[in-house]
Amino acid sequence: MSIKEKGYTHWDGKLKKMKFPWKPITQCGIKLTFKKKFFKFSFFLTLVPALIYLAGIYASEKIEDFSFLTRDTDTLSFLKVDPKYFSSYFTSDTLLFMIILLMVFCGAGLISDDLKYNSLQLYFSRPIKKNDYFMGKAAVIAFFIFIVTLIPGIVFIVMKLIFSGSFRFLASFPWLIFSVVGYSIFITTFFAFYTLFLSSLNKNRRYVGILIFGLYFFSEIIFGIFFGIFKSKYFALLSIEVNLQQVGAGFFGQKPVYDIPWILSFLIITMICILAAIVLKRKIRSVEVVK
Amino acid sequence: MMNVENFEVKNLHFNYGKVKALDGVNLKLPGGAIGLLGPNGAGKSTLIKILLGFLSPDKGEGLVLGYDIKKQQSSIRRYVGYMPESDCLIPGMDAVSFTSYLGELSGMPRQEAMKRAHEVLFYVGLEESRYRNLETYSSGMKQRLKLAQAIVHDPKLIFLDEPTSGLDPRGRIEILDLILDISSKKDIQVLISSHILSDIESVCSYVVILNKGELASQGKISDLKQINYSLYEIKAFENVERFIDGLSNIGCKVEQTADKLIRVYLPPEKIPQDIISIAVEEKTQIRHFVKSQTSLEDIFADIVGVD
Repeated sequence: MSIKEKGYTHWDGKLKKMKFPWKPITQCGIKLTFKKKFFKFSFFLTLVPALIYLAGIYASEKIEDFSFLTRDTDTLSFLKVDPKYFSSYFTSDTLLFMIILLMVFCGAGLISDDLKYNSLQLYFSRPIKKNDYFMGKAAVIAFFIFIVTLIPGIVFIVMKLIFSGSFRFLASFPWLIFSVVGYSIFITTFFAFYTLFLSSLNKNRRYVGILIFGLYFFSEIIFGIFFGIFKSKYFALLSIEVNLQQVGAGFFGQKPVYDIPWILSFLIITMICILAAIVLKRKIRSVEVVK
Repeated sequence: MMNVENFEVKNLHFNYGKVKALDGVNLKLPGGAIGLLGPNGAGKSTLIKILLGFLSPDKGEGLVLGYDIKKQQSSIRRYVGYMPESDCLIPGMDAVSFTSYLGELSGMPRQEAMKRAHEVLFYVGLEESRYRNLETYSSGMKQRLKLAQAIVHDPKLIFLDEPTSGLDPRGRIEILDLILDISSKKDIQVLISSHILSDIESVCSYVVILNKGELASQGKISDLKQINYSLYEIKAFENVERFIDGLSNIGCKVEQTADKLIRVYLPPEKIPQDIISIAVEEKTQIRHFVKSQTSLEDIFADIVGVD
């Protein structure tokens, strides 16, 4: 059908000022992530630790049913569900690795694709502010990280209450839910800044993916090297992973792995977020929409 | 065609550090299609940035669609459409989801945006490929898609930046047809920034010419053609160089084409007889003397001073 046959008609609706202008950006980002090759499989993989810990919670209530597995009941002490159990889930190397994997899939292209395909001008020629844009992109990251942190954390608590059939657990650790929510928000905020910052540095999504992986593990390697040479625990502060684990221990009231105040790690992570925000603000300029 | 002035800027100044990008620009533009012309660095992009609300002028004031360019930038962007020059898309999307997504970002409800996306994609002639991945689109299709996303929210005003760049002749005509249809029959004002003057001439009735940050000229193309000068085409023999120098000395702008045709832009205060007088003085034979139709290119060359 040619253009003249169909013709242009005016839209009789009214454009509204959106309450959350970033919402369509998030919805679109999530939808596009699920379209990516191998993502669904990787996404399922990231849920495995949560499923294992959930099974652990079930087993903890049926400990006598599993006693045939070992002669010594102390062997099953790791199944004791308390803040330490939660801390071990939230600060486990496996979970953090899974989050990094998620970031490569869902976060690497968030800004770099917009830079590569000149899409920024499409966003900023609309009533979208820079903060809405960042918020929309960060919410994509938050969506996926919450699925492996906040949601499992809450599900663990609910399931524990259901399996135990009483509220004793909640009465014993009333602050645990706040730790789950607080640490989930903390870790999500960090990864949102970390991923968006790296995504804004290059137009190639694959290169950004390597950066997301590389920088994270490079910090770990650097820590390993310095720690090996100088034997000082303070070099742990060079590692992103250790800093996240230290803060996690703080949130769940556990003793940190390295005997350093967890607040130092908290400050380092906060500094990284602030630096990332500054770079992001400078890199993404709405005024460059018209070249 | 709209009669309301959708644009009005007064004494607009903008500097990039010490460089003056806009220097006291005053505009009050009528409806329909308007061409924005000027050489590189004339201030076109800066003017569009200000009109879209990305930059706030150092001095001066203005209204776009009745919204203040300094205070209501978000509202301006809600009611205008913008078609960028460079290719732009969101990878992994098809045309329907892309267009409806951008409609949503403009403030349309999701379902309405989806319905409207189909309509505008039909309008721009992408109906058959609307479910194809955008990365597989040709240049012409991408250009149409950019136009579709600019009109999806039914804006009252559209900024088109080099709308025909990278198109083959047929694609160019089709896009110009669409623009002409939108601007002449659909009650939508269109501001086109382009270096292809013939495109502007075929679509716009009104032009704004910027040069070195200043408003060099503005008006209806037909009026500009009459006011500025008359154009004569001459074929001359003997003492041609001296003849050209003589014409330049009396204030004519003279060009010589590759096939030795002399194009003389005669200022309003001069008459054709002056050309003949110079030829007589310089003993030059004139074998061809025709008053030519001035094109927008001629006006532009005369105002901006480029060949």
